Amino acid sequence: MIDSAMSKKKIITLSSAVLLSLLFPYLTPYTALASEILVFALFAMSYDLVLGYAGMLSFGHAAFFGIGAYTTGIMLVRVYPSVMPALLAGVIVSSLAALFVGYLSIRRSGIYFTMVTLAFAQMFYFTAFKWTGLTGGDDGLQGVPRPSIGPLDLTSEITLYYFILFFVLLSITIGLRVVNSPFGKTLQALRENKDRTMSIGYDVDKFRLIVFIISGFFSGLAGGLYALLLNFVPLSSLYWTTSGEVVVMTIVGGMGTLFGPVLGALGIILLRDIISNFTESWNFIMGLIFMGCVLGFRGGIMSIIRDKLKLNV
Amino acid sequence: MSAQFIGMQLFNGLILGSVYVLLSLGLSIIFGMLGIINFAHGAFYMLGAYAAYTITSYIFPNFWIAFIFGPIFMGAFGAACEVFFFRRLYKLPPLYVMLFTFGLMMAFQDIIRMIFGSMGVPFNTPESLMGAVNLGFMYYPKYRLFLIIVTALCSLGVWLFLSKTRLGALIRAGTDNSQMVDALGINISRITTLVFGLGIGLAGLAGVLVAPIQNVTHLMGMDFLIDCFVVVVIGGMGSIAGSIIGGLIVGEIIAMGIMVWPPIANTLIYLFMAAFLLVRPRGLFGREAFHD
Repeated sequence: MIDSAMSKKKIITLSSAVLLSLLFPYLTPYTALASEILVFALFAMSYDLVLGYAGMLSFGHAAFFGIGAYTTGIMLVRVYPSVMPALLAGVIVSSLAALFVGYLSIRRSGIYFTMVTLAFAQMFYFTAFKWTGLTGGDDGLQGVPRPSIGPLDLTSEITLYYFILFFVLLSITIGLRVVNSPFGKTLQALRENKDRTMSIGYDVDKFRLIVFIISGFFSGLAGGLYALLLNFVPLSSLYWTTSGEVVVMTIVGGMGTLFGPVLGALGIILLRDIISNFTESWNFIMGLIFMGCVLGFRGGIMSIIRDKLKLNV
Repeated sequence: MSAQFIGMQLFNGLILGSVYVLLSLGLSIIFGMLGIINFAHGAFYMLGAYAAYTITSYIFPNFWIAFIFGPIFMGAFGAACEVFFFRRLYKLPPLYVMLFTFGLMMAFQDIIRMIFGSMGVPFNTPESLMGAVNLGFMYYPKYRLFLIIVTALCSLGVWLFLSKTRLGALIRAGTDNSQMVDALGINISRITTLVFGLGIGLAGLAGVLVAPIQNVTHLMGMDFLIDCFVVVVIGGMGSIAGSIIGGLIVGEIIAMGIMVWPPIANTLIYLFMAAFLLVRPRGLFGREAFHD
C-alpha cells in the first residue's frame, strides 16, 4: 500500500519534471539560457557519478567537458560539417582522455587524486592554449556551425533546445540504470568502505576507472552540445574554474542523487544570469554564495525536497 | 645555443623554482596540519603582491618596508582567516573545506579586481637592487639573485624551525596526530592558527618577491597554484624537503622547456608528473598513505 503510494508519487514527480523540462524554454528570459542550463545539468549529472556515487573528488572534469567541446567543434569546423559524427567523435575522444587521466590518477586516492586530476586538466588547458593552429588558442574556436540533421533545423534556438533535451533525458535514463545496477551498488559500497569492498573480492581500481570513463563520456557529450549551443568553444571550458563550478553545482544540488546536480546547475546558472545583469562583480557574489553553502547548506537542494516530499528518488 | 644562455636559463629556472618552493612549503604544511588543499593559496600569494604595491605606492615608498611588513601582514591576515572561518569547518569532510577555499579565492580575486582594476598594477625593482652582478661566467640581475638568496634562507629557516625547536616539534606531532597532542594538554587550535599564519605568510612573501619581476594582476595566482600541486605530487605532500626539491625540479623543467620549445614548457611538467606517478606514486619524500 505504502509502496504503491510511493511509486505513484514518484511517477507524478517524474512526469511533472519531464513536462516542466518541455515547457522550460518558455519560462526562461531567453531560450539559450534554458539550453545552457541543460548542458550544465548533464555535465553535473555525469560528475555526480564520480563524486556522489564513487566518492572520488575529481577536480579535473573541465578536461573532459572541454575536450568534448573542442573535438566536436574541430570536427564541425575543420573536418566534416555534420552534427552526429562530430558529437560521436567528441564523446570518444573525451572517454579516451578519461581513460588516460583515470588510469594514472586512481593510483592515488583522497586529496592526491584531487590534485592529480586537476594537474592533468591543466595540461590539456595549456595544450589547447598553445596549439593555436588547431584550437584558436586564447580566442577560442570560432565559428562552429550547426548544420541541419535531415528536417531538424538546429539553427533555431528552440529546436536546438529540444535536441539537447533529448540527449539529456537519454543520459539521465542511462545514468539511473548505471547507479541502480549491481555495478552502481558496488561503487556505493566502495565509496562507503573501500577496504571491505576490496576484501569481498572486488577489483576496486577497475570499478573506479570504469566509472571515471563513463563520467568522462557524458561530460564529453555535454561539452559537444555546449559547442553547438555557443557556436564557439571558449578556452575557459578547459580551465580549472569550470571544474570548480561543476563541483559546486553537484554539491549545491545534493551529491549522490543524480537529480540534485541537475537542480544545482539550474540554480547556479540562473543565479549567475540574474546577478550578472546588475553587477560586474558576480564572481565576488558567487564566491560568497559558495562559502555560505558550505557554512549552512550542505545537504543541498535535494535534501530539502526529500524532507518536504518524503520521496526517495 | 651558447653556454651563457644555458646558464642564464638554469638561473631563471631557479627563480621560478624559488617561488614554487615558497608557495609549496605553505601549501604543504597547511595540508599536513589540516588535511585540506587550500585553493585560496594562489589568491593569498596575489594579495601579498598587492599588499607590497599598496605599501610602496600609498603608505611608504620603500621596497624594504614592503618586504618586511607585507609578509607579516599576510601572515596575520591568514591567521585571522583561520580563526574566523576555517576553525568552524574542521569537523566537516575535507570536500567542504576545499569548496570553501575555492569560494574564498573567487571572492578575493574579485575584490582586488574591483579595487585595482583588471589591468594589473606597475611595480618597480627597488633601486638598491637594480643592475647586474658579474658571476665570473655571466652577468645576472641583482634582484633575481636576491630572490634566490631570500628563498634559500627562508627554506632553511622553516626547516630549522620545524625540526629543531619545541614549537616545531609540536607542529610535527600535530601533523601526525592532532587529537593526541590535544589530549596531552597542548592548545592545538593555537598551533593550527600559527601554522596557517606561517603558510600564508610564506605565500605573501612569494607575492612580494615576484612583484617586481612579474605582472601583478588579480589572476596571477591561478596557474601558479596548479603548478604547485605538481610540485607537491612530485615532492610528496607534507614533506619540507619534498617541497624544496620538487619546486626546484619543476622550475628547472619549465626553464629547460622554454629553451627547447616554448609552447611545450608548461605541458612538460604535467607529463613529467604523469611519468613520476607511474614510477613512484607517493612522490620523492612522501609517506605511504598520508592523509589518504
